[in-house]
Amino acid sequence: MSSITEKEVEHIAELARIKLTEKEQDKMTKELGAILGYIDKLKEVDTDGVEPIAHITGLTDIFRKDDNPRGPDSENIKRLMGQAPSEKSGYVKVKSVFED
Amino acid sequence: MESSGYTIKSVKQGLEKGEFSVEEIFKEYQERIEKENPKLNAYLSVFSAEGGSAFGGDLETNILAGIPCAIKDNILISGEKCTAGSKILKNYVAPYDATVITKLKKAGTVFLGKTNLDEFAMGSTGENSAFGPTLNPHDHTRVAGGSSAGSGAAVVADLAVFALGSDTGGSIRAPASFCGVVGLKPTYGAVSRFGLIAMASSFDQIGPITKNVEDAAIVLNAIAGHDPLDSTSVPRDIPDYTAGLGKPIKGLKIGIPKEFMSEGLNPEINDLIQKAFSELESLGAHVDEISLPMTDYALAAYYIIVPAEISANLARYDGIKYGLSVQEGKNLLDVYLKSRAEGLGDEVKRRIMLGTYTLSAGYYDAYYLRAQKVRALIKQDFEKIFEKYDAVVGPTMSTIAPKLGELSDPLSAYAADIYTVQVNIAGLPAISVPCGFVEKDGVKMPAGLQIIGKHFDEGKILQIAHAYEQVRDN
Repeated sequence: MSSITEKEVEHIAELARIKLTEKEQDKMTKELGAILGYIDKLKEVDTDGVEPIAHITGLTDIFRKDDNPRGPDSENIKRLMGQAPSEKSGYVKVKSVFED
Repeated sequence: MESSGYTIKSVKQGLEKGEFSVEEIFKEYQERIEKENPKLNAYLSVFSAEGGSAFGGDLETNILAGIPCAIKDNILISGEKCTAGSKILKNYVAPYDATVITKLKKAGTVFLGKTNLDEFAMGSTGENSAFGPTLNPHDHTRVAGGSSAGSGAAVVADLAVFALGSDTGGSIRAPASFCGVVGLKPTYGAVSRFGLIAMASSFDQIGPITKNVEDAAIVLNAIAGHDPLDSTSVPRDIPDYTAGLGKPIKGLKIGIPKEFMSEGLNPEINDLIQKAFSELESLGAHVDEISLPMTDYALAAYYIIVPAEISANLARYDGIKYGLSVQEGKNLLDVYLKSRAEGLGDEVKRRIMLGTYTLSAGYYDAYYLRAQKVRALIKQDFEKIFEKYDAVVGPTMSTIAPKLGELSDPLSAYAADIYTVQVNIAGLPAISVPCGFVEKDGVKMPAGLQIIGKHFDEGKILQIAHAYEQVRDN
């Protein structure tokens, strides 16, 4: 699994929602191949019976109350909405999901 | 060039003696930045006296009141731009304060501006910033180290009394080593990550970059502690991190990992580190060679887990809610594809792609799950050593600061992190403290000694670093 094909890179780019030019795709295929070749090294390690790390200092699930202690903050909502590239009537506006 | 200029204590004294006011020392720094920053590119934005914070701290009670500092540009200050070194956030304005900023404001600290970094903190040299690299103040043909490049350069060039950085795989310690300043990466969970733009959430930690060890302890005192807004911060009492400074280190047991002192280490750095070991011994510490057998696998595990977390964390930059948005195209998918293509840089794309691949169907067990098991083994390596030893000591980086462009190949750039990533993999605290200079091309370039401690044992590594700092003769 130490190499990756151009077709796989194309598929991964689609999953990652990044448009790559043909040149970028070619470069990415070579670079990812080299990196995957290196990280394949981990196959040498005997990991039988090892419990994978969940949290490094051992915290387990943390719960909080399902409320908003700071209350609705209209100033903050305005600040956040102000950064949306496109807005209509207090909602973030996006392009159509399906082509017509 | 030695690290010189104001420390927290010397500014505090100047304020107390009336040598300058808070406004005057701030202005002095502003003028220095205006003059020096065009050469170094350490700051991405500079605040006016009114910006960032008010001069409201209580000089009597808080040691940080009125101290001008610099903040890495991936930490949010309300109402100020926060770019994370990325084109996609070029015009993003932080809507709230990070918890560390809230704490520093409460202490009365004054913010000079935001410092340059590798895009989204991904890099060891600072060259991955969308806004150009930060140059090393010692030699402008060399990098400042990454990813907290601007913070390291600003502190050594005295364009700030201290700075905050963040460290995911060495991003505080690398610039500290390359610039010749002190950099402390706290235990995972010791400092709140709320308001730190996420790279790899199970690794990231905010920490200080300072001119001496005492300042690092003072800043840690101010920023550490549990935060309900970061559920991974650990609820526990915060000790006084300055308490151990000045205490003898006689009888402490220090382990030197033989894997850190192997052929990959530049011989001149090796000489400096060996000298540091003798100095620690002369202070009465017991120094033994130890082994961290998983060292050889640390980088591979790191470059599986971190890109996996990156691919999830950076999915939020989609051109919809904030940040750069390319609106041309037919539908929503086009906005995603084009905004990310245009807004993200090469290294960021590479890591997102790598993480998407290793997490994708059929590969999860072989890569991510296996790497998380290796992570457990690396943690166990350290646990075994810390049963017998107080600290693990070695080099921070294997070389002095590389030339600009020297590490352009991704794999050789990754390899630069060889001594630093294990600390983050195991969630440990570590400090890089200057240990002398290597002369190169007629310039004295600094190197760093790395001291690694047990979880939440920052006090001990600060104590050792401080003792060493007092006797260091170069």
